[in-house]
Amino acid sequence: MPELKFKGGNKLFDVMRILVIEDDAETAAYIVEGLSTGGHVADHVSDGRDGLMLATSGSYDALVLDRMLPGLDGLNLLKTLRSAGVKTPVLFLTARGGIDDRVEGLNAGGDDYLTKPFAFSELIARLSALGRRPPLAPVQTTFRVADLEMDLIARKVKRGGKSIDLQPREFRLLEYLLRNAGRVVTRTMLLEQVWEFHFDPKTKIVETHISRLRAKIDRGTDQDLIHTIRGSGYVLRASS
Amino acid sequence: MSFGHLPRALRTASFRLAIFYALLFAGSALILGSIVYWTVQTSLKRQMDERINAEIELLRQEFRSEGLQELIREIGERAAYFPVLDYLVVDDKGNRLAGNLPYMPSASGWTDIETEPRAPNPDAERSFHVRSVYLADGIRLAVGDDLEPLEAIERAFLEALGIALLAFLVLSLTGGFVLSMGFLRQVDDITHTAEAIIRGELTSRIPLRETNDNFDRLSRTLNRMLDRIQDLMESLSQVSNDIAHALRTPLGRLRHKLETARLQIRSSPQGLAAVDAAIEETDTILDTFSALLRIAQIEAGTRKAGLKPLDLSALFERVIEAYAAAAEEEGKTLKANVETGLSAVGDRELLVEMAANLLDNAIRHTPAGADIELSLVRKGKKLIASIADNGPGIPAEDRERVFRRFYRLERSASIPGTGLGLALVAAVAELHGIELGAEDNAPGLRIRMIFDAFEPDELRTSTGYVMAINPGARPL
Repeated sequence: MPELKFKGGNKLFDVMRILVIEDDAETAAYIVEGLSTGGHVADHVSDGRDGLMLATSGSYDALVLDRMLPGLDGLNLLKTLRSAGVKTPVLFLTARGGIDDRVEGLNAGGDDYLTKPFAFSELIARLSALGRRPPLAPVQTTFRVADLEMDLIARKVKRGGKSIDLQPREFRLLEYLLRNAGRVVTRTMLLEQVWEFHFDPKTKIVETHISRLRAKIDRGTDQDLIHTIRGSGYVLRASS
Repeated sequence: MSFGHLPRALRTASFRLAIFYALLFAGSALILGSIVYWTVQTSLKRQMDERINAEIELLRQEFRSEGLQELIREIGERAAYFPVLDYLVVDDKGNRLAGNLPYMPSASGWTDIETEPRAPNPDAERSFHVRSVYLADGIRLAVGDDLEPLEAIERAFLEALGIALLAFLVLSLTGGFVLSMGFLRQVDDITHTAEAIIRGELTSRIPLRETNDNFDRLSRTLNRMLDRIQDLMESLSQVSNDIAHALRTPLGRLRHKLETARLQIRSSPQGLAAVDAAIEETDTILDTFSALLRIAQIEAGTRKAGLKPLDLSALFERVIEAYAAAAEEEGKTLKANVETGLSAVGDRELLVEMAANLLDNAIRHTPAGADIELSLVRKGKKLIASIADNGPGIPAEDRERVFRRFYRLERSASIPGTGLGLALVAAVAELHGIELGAEDNAPGLRIRMIFDAFEPDELRTSTGYVMAINPGARPL
């Protein structure tokens, strides 16, 4: 059953410590339960002030923060946190699907944004992308997974030493998959990061590009690198 | 009247109003002056005539009773002691017997005569108003009055009238200008406020002068109306947020529960299929809510303040690039005919979504093998964008209605969708002031959008604008 990619014991996911600041008990329980099932450590508070205290003192890999909270709302909590120098990645949750909300959240220092309701697979994919982001990584310009190599400066891609010709957007797509190698990236994440589309197109843009990329990268090799995770998204990794 | 050649300040409505009033006042002053002038002139002339008539009657009686010699003596005496009027007496041969008028008019009755201009003093020309009569035996008597004093009065009057008229013009022009400036400034205040409201600055209000005049009362009333509009807009967005909370939150929980249930019934394939179908249904409802909320937010116009100049050509190219492969996969050809370097003012994210929605629509509603062409060309100060296909098109009577919410053609019932895609396109077009229309592409559908071109010159003259698009920008 590969769709349960957050199942415990999966070596692909290191244990993350997540603080969930959410006043809706049901949503919070859903997130905490999902995270625990996936083997992660999740703390939950339902009040903004308590959330700020924990976020400042505790060492978390990432924060899941609701926009609207009693005590101290999410936007102000984040501003306070950032002005105190806490750089923990923050994933905003909101019930409002507004266009401006995302920009507001990101401007306040948020790292990602998710509109309620969401599929848990979307949340965990985004959290692992955030939680793994190394705080001060040197700028990486070459990537390698199995015998697939990418050089960002020369803009060259090779598989098994053989040069592969990619369209600009395919190159960008592969780069994003490589940066997140071993982690599931969802269709929505790809739309946002590769195409800068912050809406859901009815046309299968992502699927088409993935299948073209796959044809160029994987066809004729004995090992597929791009895998589809049913109901979640895609992952680039050496073993299936 | 054309003011095209005048500087901008003088072409304002206030100046035109001032000129109109000045001309009106000057016209009335001129009519009044003319009436007074005419009345004074006639009455002075009549007095002169009466004086001359009385003198002639007196002298005629003198002549009858005392004879010619006495008349000549009398005239000499009058010329010496009371030089009010001027006289002339001639015999039947025309010889001057007495008096100082320059000559005898040829016919008797009223006439005006003039002295011949003579050196050394050519300016000393004089004119007289004269009546001449026959006394007896060819002896003629003429009595006249110098016209100079009358003309002097007339000249003085005209001069005074001219000065008054000039003062009138200057006063009424400045007065009218100042008055109408004040008047129009208040009108301008109202215009500026209305424009700000249209731009989406709903908190903008007309400044009050605390004079409590008609204008202040009008402004106060308009401000109250704006308060009401703001309340309505806020309660609209409040309602939207309430819908978001009241319906999306429980729907979200429903979705969560279905996902949890899915994990627990992994052993039953039928159960899984049923739960998957339920999740899909829930997602469709959630999609519809999201689309409705999004349209409502765009229609509220709050994003108007964030419109910036952007490279529309690059934006269209980017959307085409995203869709080309997917269209090809569906057996449709996506062609681009985009002129480079065309700019317009807009919201990048919304315009991308608009173009994407139109392409989604074209791809979904055409059969395999269809051609879809997206074009952007410049025509004068307008940019014409169109998305045309050679699919089944839309019947003429439905073309206006496709932009309405939930409007779907009968034959599209089998194609999944919320029926909100084109409504969102219409909302984005409305926000940007883009002229949007659906036309017959014979065969097929053509959606046409007319943008106002953004002139790069405006960059230099207007301060707040910076070119917003950077095609190479990456979010990472």
